[in-house]
Amino acid sequence: MLVKPTARQRAACESPAETIDFDRLVRDLDDGECVVRRRAARDLGEIAAAGPHLVGRLAIETEPSARAAILSALIRLRSVEVVDGLVAFLRSEDVGLRNAVIEALQEMPEEALPSLRLLLTDSDSDVRIFAVNILNGLCHPGMVPCLVEVIATDSHVNVCMAAVDGLAEAGDVEAIPPLAALARRFADVPFVAFAVAAATRRIRGH
Amino acid sequence: MGSPSRQTSASDSSLTPDEYQKFCEFFYRKTGILFNDKKGYFVDRRIAERIEKTGSECFRDYFALLRFQASGAEWQELVNVMTVNETYFLREDYQFEALVRGMLPELVGKRGIGDTVRIWSAPCSTGEEPYSIAIYILENWKRSDDFAIEILASDIDSKVLAAAQLGIFGERSIQRLSPTLRRKYFTSLGDDRFQIIRELRESIDFARINVVDKSHMSRYSKIDVIFCRNLLIYFDDMSRRETVELMYECLTPGGFICLGHSESMSRISSLFVPRKFGDTIVYQKAPTAN
Ligand SMILES: C[S@@+](CC[C@H](N)C(=O)[O-])C[C@H]1O[C@@H](n2cnc3c(N)ncnc32)[C@H](O)[C@@H]1O
Repeated sequence: MLVKPTARQRAACESPAETIDFDRLVRDLDDGECVVRRRAARDLGEIAAAGPHLVGRLAIETEPSARAAILSALIRLRSVEVVDGLVAFLRSEDVGLRNAVIEALQEMPEEALPSLRLLLTDSDSDVRIFAVNILNGLCHPGMVPCLVEVIATDSHVNVCMAAVDGLAEAGDVEAIPPLAALARRFADVPFVAFAVAAATRRIRGH
Repeated sequence: MGSPSRQTSASDSSLTPDEYQKFCEFFYRKTGILFNDKKGYFVDRRIAERIEKTGSECFRDYFALLRFQASGAEWQELVNVMTVNETYFLREDYQFEALVRGMLPELVGKRGIGDTVRIWSAPCSTGEEPYSIAIYILENWKRSDDFAIEILASDIDSKVLAAAQLGIFGERSIQRLSPTLRRKYFTSLGDDRFQIIRELRESIDFARINVVDKSHMSRYSKIDVIFCRNLLIYFDDMSRRETVELMYECLTPGGFICLGHSESMSRISSLFVPRKFGDTIVYQKAPTAN
């Protein structure tokens, strides 16, 4: 039987918007109830100063829905500071968190690019691979020169291979000579020549 | 476009690239809808129309009116002309089949006779979707009499909501309905116009809701199934993500979201579990979610 929703749903509509109390929202971010934390995160996503608090909570938040709300708020706030906060999580052991952070960084290409460039000089090759993978998914023209630089200079073959993947997708003919140079540099690693040839074919449109 | 004076006024009010950019940013922030550069003509023409209709001198004046008018009336007018409202009865009806065969039986599993089942069509445009849901349930769900079924319907566009409440449709919109269903649920008004019976019109709750607005969305809770079809295609990634997260809050644990056939949750959010019913995939909030 179809029934018209009662006045209950309607009544809620008219409730006045609450005034925003920054300190309370920050406290709510640590509330025991997940729904309260999500709401706080969402409201904080409109206050620039909230970035560090959101990043701080992200470090200890384990509930996926609250994590998602925090990351959405951070994407909304997008700034170089937010990016710096997020980049730290790329070293996290938690795969889910790492992936979520990667997606979030890709949502703010302009702000993320400088930090990613810095990460490409990290001493840990795993971190450099992450950085390349994020660059690969970045909708920003600045990613291509970064990837070209990686294949020209990075000493670790897996980092270079990740960059080759990205160049195959987004590179243009200017990437072909550096790709050829890479194949020469790693002439003793058989799959490099193979990947370079495949990428070159794709760039040429074959 | 015939008279020279109109030509002049239209070209006078065409936007500079800066103005276009500024307008799109503003519109996007408030609605989630993103116009790309290809939409330039579509946007330009509609703004020119509104500038003329409001008697504004130029874009700047009009933009000021848009932002600072206390009643928000012009903002609503503008939204009404900018939205794409295409819809029809029984669109993507395999999802209604999944509703009555899969989702509803699962949802009411532990509920008692007389309990509430709440379904929300967001966005509903001119009403075809919520009315289709109502008709499909009445016709095809054996247990429809056992529960109090609430159908909520909303849209950002006030003009389509008014049309939905009036419930008058043309042949094109109802062409997928069998003659039996037409007879049962419509009154013919002549001129190929059909009005949905009063009983149905009065059983659906229509409301103006902007899905990217947190305060609007907080009005809805304990929803069992949300139909959010052919809306997210107009949004950018961030608005999509925020919208489905707000919808997550509105859903009851174990509740479902149905998206349009060209929309996929996997690229938006991992909050939901994909579920396959027949030929369609819908997205479920975990029954244990808090
Ligand atoms: C193409 S119709 C889809 C109607 C129906 N769901 C269907 O699939 O046939 C899209 C509707 O989304 C509405 N819309 C656009 N932005 C919206 C927003 N931010 N909040 C609510 N509705 C919105 C438009 O007004 C339009 O009526």
